[in-house]
Amino acid sequence: MLEIQELNFHYQYRRIIRQLSFQVKPGEILHIVGPNGCGKTTLMSILAGLRREHSGTITLRQTEGHILADRRTQVEYLPAEANALFGKMDAMRNLQFWMELRDHKPSVDAMREELARWDLDHPLIRENFPVERFSTGMKRRLALARVNLAQVSCWLLDEPLYGLDSRGIATFQDMLEKHQAGGGMALIVSHDTAPLQKFAIQTLDMKQEPSR
Amino acid sequence: MSSDSRQDKRLLISGILAFAFLAVAWLWGLRFAPSEEHMGEVYRIIYVHVPSAFTAFSSAGLLLVLSLLTLLRRSESASLWAKASAEVGLIFTIITLATGSIWGRPTWGVWWTWDARLTTTLILSLLYAGYLILYSSLAPGPQRDRIVAALGVIIALDVPVIYKSVTWWRTLHQPPSILREGGSSMAPEMLATLMLCLSASLLVGAWMLWLRVTNLRLQQQIDAYSYQAQND
Amino acid sequence: MRKSLMQYRALLVQSIHVEWANAERWLSPLLFAMTILILFAFAFGRVDEQFIPQLFIAATYLTAFFSLQIAFSRVLEPDMQDRVFDQMRSYPISPSAWFLSKFTLVLMLGVMILVPTLLLSHLFLNEGRNNLLSGSLFVIALIALLGLGSVGVLLSTMMLRSNAKQILYPLIYFPLTTPVLLAAVESSRAHLVEGASLENLLSSWLGLLVIFGIMYFTLSLLLFGELIKPD
Repeated sequence: MLEIQELNFHYQYRRIIRQLSFQVKPGEILHIVGPNGCGKTTLMSILAGLRREHSGTITLRQTEGHILADRRTQVEYLPAEANALFGKMDAMRNLQFWMELRDHKPSVDAMREELARWDLDHPLIRENFPVERFSTGMKRRLALARVNLAQVSCWLLDEPLYGLDSRGIATFQDMLEKHQAGGGMALIVSHDTAPLQKFAIQTLDMKQEPSR
Repeated sequence: MSSDSRQDKRLLISGILAFAFLAVAWLWGLRFAPSEEHMGEVYRIIYVHVPSAFTAFSSAGLLLVLSLLTLLRRSESASLWAKASAEVGLIFTIITLATGSIWGRPTWGVWWTWDARLTTTLILSLLYAGYLILYSSLAPGPQRDRIVAALGVIIALDVPVIYKSVTWWRTLHQPPSILREGGSSMAPEMLATLMLCLSASLLVGAWMLWLRVTNLRLQQQIDAYSYQAQND
Repeated sequence: MRKSLMQYRALLVQSIHVEWANAERWLSPLLFAMTILILFAFAFGRVDEQFIPQLFIAATYLTAFFSLQIAFSRVLEPDMQDRVFDQMRSYPISPSAWFLSKFTLVLMLGVMILVPTLLLSHLFLNEGRNNLLSGSLFVIALIALLGLGSVGVLLSTMMLRSNAKQILYPLIYFPLTTPVLLAAVESSRAHLVEGASLENLLSSWLGLLVIFGIMYFTLSLLLFGELIKPD
């Protein structure tokens, strides 16, 4: 369970997040909405551990009562304008690296299975083909494959559907469904709401308050 | 508002006092203190040079303390003070280099020599300059505070080591021939004058520090107001 | 502990892969070193035999010093693209493993620059008259590399987000590493000209070099952790 209490964050003189509290239970999907510049991406980067909140508490429980000392072990973040892929490396090498950092033993079969899901398991695509030559949608699919392989309970997805075609969106829905069924949590920022309609989602509206 | 203007007045008055004290000390040193038997009148620049050098190196010590405070306590005001102390340090390092050069011309016959102290001071001035450039090249925020604080720690810890190694390098390399170091057996009157100048210089340094921190705070306030104006 | 080791290994392997994929990244400092050495050799022409060791030391260390700086300043460049660096910060990576992997990479790059520089400098300046290369000289150069490398990694982490790093990096790197350069040059000179052994040197310049290596390494290890924390 992810629990956020009275979170505050300001950048320079700009209050971006004020007294924000919410919680996400296992198996819940939280859709974060709000106008541009209301702090959706900032909230994501705080939860991912890139920025530090000015006050408030963030607790992630793996099981009831067991609070994680370092929530990053159970959080996978997908940023909005980037995929965090090494451009000169091929798809397999990229996946392997991020899995090893999580201390998962990367098996070639598991990675290929995941790539196949995203239509990237062609021998001319998965190996010896630098990711920098991928199209926008292919890069996004590879980044989403990494999210799924991370095997963590909490996903932070910032505009995950950016650049995906209808097949990619279907795969994403499928992946999210399995994650939810397995008791996983997901926080999603997306302006494209249609693909999320089929899920039972909670919505967090971050209306911009007059900043003072 | 009235407390701000009162603080302005305090700052102004203390500045006038500090500089007046410095003027008296310098006048005393440059005009009335006894002249030295070997170097004659030239030596008098010691009253400007040594205090400046001392202030410059004290700034490095201050930078260390403030940088550590920034890193360990995440104190925002400590990082402002650290930046101000680097600025004051740079000014006094430049004064030290300039007066040292002026002093060197008649005593050693050259404007510049790769003496240990000169080299160390030059390196310190480069490091201060680098620190300030790094500060201004980063986007404001806690991240910048932490990055420059890390650099501040390294710079301040490095200064004594650089000094030691440069001394060894020079002393092992060439005999200390014409480079007569300032006499340790100083006449008591001279020592008293030097101490006077030293305290004057430290006082002016402290005042500059205060001025700069006030300015930096003011800058922050202006930024905050202009941000508010945008949103009204 | 075991997890940190795994991460260290993963980070290092990945860094080596990236370097290998961009040959330009390690070739250009090497070519730079060669150019400088050729200029040195050409400018000095025939040199009196007794000055050769000193010239050899000066030319070698200066060349290595400059080309290492180029290599070090670029060591985090691949991590800056596509926000890889931030993604790593969002992963549960041990800061020490991260620093050590980059440090190891820098040492490998450093050796790849240092060894050819020593050999080429010997070839160009010495013209094969007497043998100046020895195991001890390599040891001295390696110890110097430890100090230079740790400062190198720390500074490139600091300047990751600075928009003036091309100018700033040398401006801060050179003053900070002057003592290392001095100690390395003095140790090598004492070794080559006066024939001092490493054990004897350990109580003077070489000792200083070792102390620098330890000091810079410890400082960089500690401060690196501070630099990657959440803002």
